[in-house]
Amino acid sequence: MKLLWKLLRQHISIGQLAGFFLANLLGMLIVLLSLQFYEDVVPAFSGEDGVMKNTYLILSKRIAAVSAFGGEAQTFSEEDVRDLRNQSFVRKVGAFTASQYQVYASLSMGGVGMGTDMFFESVPDDFVDVKWSGQGGQANQTQLLAGGEVPIILPRTYLALYNFGFAQTKNLPKLSEGIISMIQMDILLRGEGGREVRMKGRVVGFSTRLNTVLVPESFMRTANAELAPNATVQPTRLIVEVGNPADDAIVAYVQERGYELEDNSLDAGRATYFLKITATVVLAVGLLISILSFYILMLSVFLLVQKNAQKLQTLLLIGYSRARVALPYQLLTAGLNAGVLLFSIALLFWIRGWYMQRLWEMFPALSEGSVNRTLLLGLALCCFVSFMNALAIRRKISSIARPR
Amino acid sequence: MNSISLHNVLPEVFVHRPDNSSDLWLQDVTFERGHLYLIEAASGTGKSSLCAYLTGYRRDYRGTISFDGRDIRKIHTYEWTGVRRRSLSLMFQELRLFSELTAWENVQIKNQLTRHKTDAELAAWFEALGIAEKRDVRIGQMSFGQQQRVALIRSLCQSFDFLLADEPVSHLDQDNSQAMGEVLMQEARRQGAGVIVTSIGHHIDLPYERVFRL
Repeated sequence: MKLLWKLLRQHISIGQLAGFFLANLLGMLIVLLSLQFYEDVVPAFSGEDGVMKNTYLILSKRIAAVSAFGGEAQTFSEEDVRDLRNQSFVRKVGAFTASQYQVYASLSMGGVGMGTDMFFESVPDDFVDVKWSGQGGQANQTQLLAGGEVPIILPRTYLALYNFGFAQTKNLPKLSEGIISMIQMDILLRGEGGREVRMKGRVVGFSTRLNTVLVPESFMRTANAELAPNATVQPTRLIVEVGNPADDAIVAYVQERGYELEDNSLDAGRATYFLKITATVVLAVGLLISILSFYILMLSVFLLVQKNAQKLQTLLLIGYSRARVALPYQLLTAGLNAGVLLFSIALLFWIRGWYMQRLWEMFPALSEGSVNRTLLLGLALCCFVSFMNALAIRRKISSIARPR
Repeated sequence: MNSISLHNVLPEVFVHRPDNSSDLWLQDVTFERGHLYLIEAASGTGKSSLCAYLTGYRRDYRGTISFDGRDIRKIHTYEWTGVRRRSLSLMFQELRLFSELTAWENVQIKNQLTRHKTDAELAAWFEALGIAEKRDVRIGQMSFGQQQRVALIRSLCQSFDFLLADEPVSHLDQDNSQAMGEVLMQEARRQGAGVIVTSIGHHIDLPYERVFRL
């Protein structure tokens, strides 16, 4: 093998191989990077909320100028819900339940008190990703109404509104999520017949997607039963878990039924969709560069084989098999491909380290995507290209071996 | 392989030649294993073409060439590897040595493949043919006569039923051709092989059993 290599390495053009190496490195790096970036960034759209998954949409009925005063039902009937459940894009449907009693929340800090009328809503617990901390999820709801503490999830926009709007102009301190969750509120619930319940409340989370004041479903059920036993509750909004938020059928269905979709709830889906398209385009460009570099390598090796044709023919005539004389060139290309793979993986991790730092600045809670698929793709690409190289070299050598 | 037969064989280039009278072309001829043949001819009469046909790298002839009765046109490319490695050895007229390698490496590149001879046996041949001191010299720096001796040694490091030596001593003096004849015949007899030597006049002095004129 040593002698064979000494003989067959003649006419190897370092320039050509270096050209191939760089071109293939670029192609491979783009392919791996586009996939890895996609894997790393997708959680920023699907998991960033921390409260709701991005595959949840919120549906309401459109409020028209006439119906606002007309008394046309703005609620979803059981039939509406059943029909929605039967749609192919729907996995789960849950209703928003509104409080049928009045809610007054107040806060006192250092002798200064403030309070506001408000409302509660709830969705089934399995639509909410965070665990309800506090006593809201516990069984003894009667006791809860008699002075317990209810956990509350607020829209994140409320906090932003306070911090960047209100506090900024009034010179009040800005509040972090952590500080807010330490504050206990006094809650007064007033139901039918003037029945009142006093209890405590605490903010346990913020949602960017649910624009409502959320309490646990079990609490809501108990409170409605206790404080408004005669009210019939029909949902005004529905929360829907869908398989693919970018599914065209969703928009078509919503338009056909005259529903309204809370727009930004689809943004993550759209962003993921566009990210997918961008990643695919970049991946395709990378593959194209890889294919072109494959041709550079093939042309270079063919030229090498052509220049060494006389030697190769002599080797075949003195008893060397085609496989044996093809082997050095096959190993050469496989080695180059493996080198390209290792080099591009090293570069990938380096670049990834850089962009993950930037991503973490934007999304501190972002978890890293898996690198397994990327490494597997790189390995598969490397093996495939080496196999195609080996096959092409074998065919070229066979053409020399064939009797004229 | 016990026999090589030619039936009505004629190189394509000779088809339109007016006179094709010859002891080989367009005849029925059989070379038997264990015998010694000489093919004598002027330049351009098709000796090297015959060698190329027999080793399977050219097919531009009419008629049939067969090994033990099997038409060699039917031998597949991968089967030729076995034929060349075990049954038929050729010493090329143009030698086809590798100029980048030394004399020793040129022999080793074949012997490493066949593992037919020990280094000591090869060294003895280098000694017998008077090129022992040229072992580590690159082929490109050796005279054609010296190269012919290296080529002979290379063609002998394999098992064979037939040895084709295409003008093996064209550039050698009497003494050296004699030495080459001895080495060649010794190995051929040891293997019980047939030997076909071609020549354009100056040939090794050996007890040829049959002489063909092209």
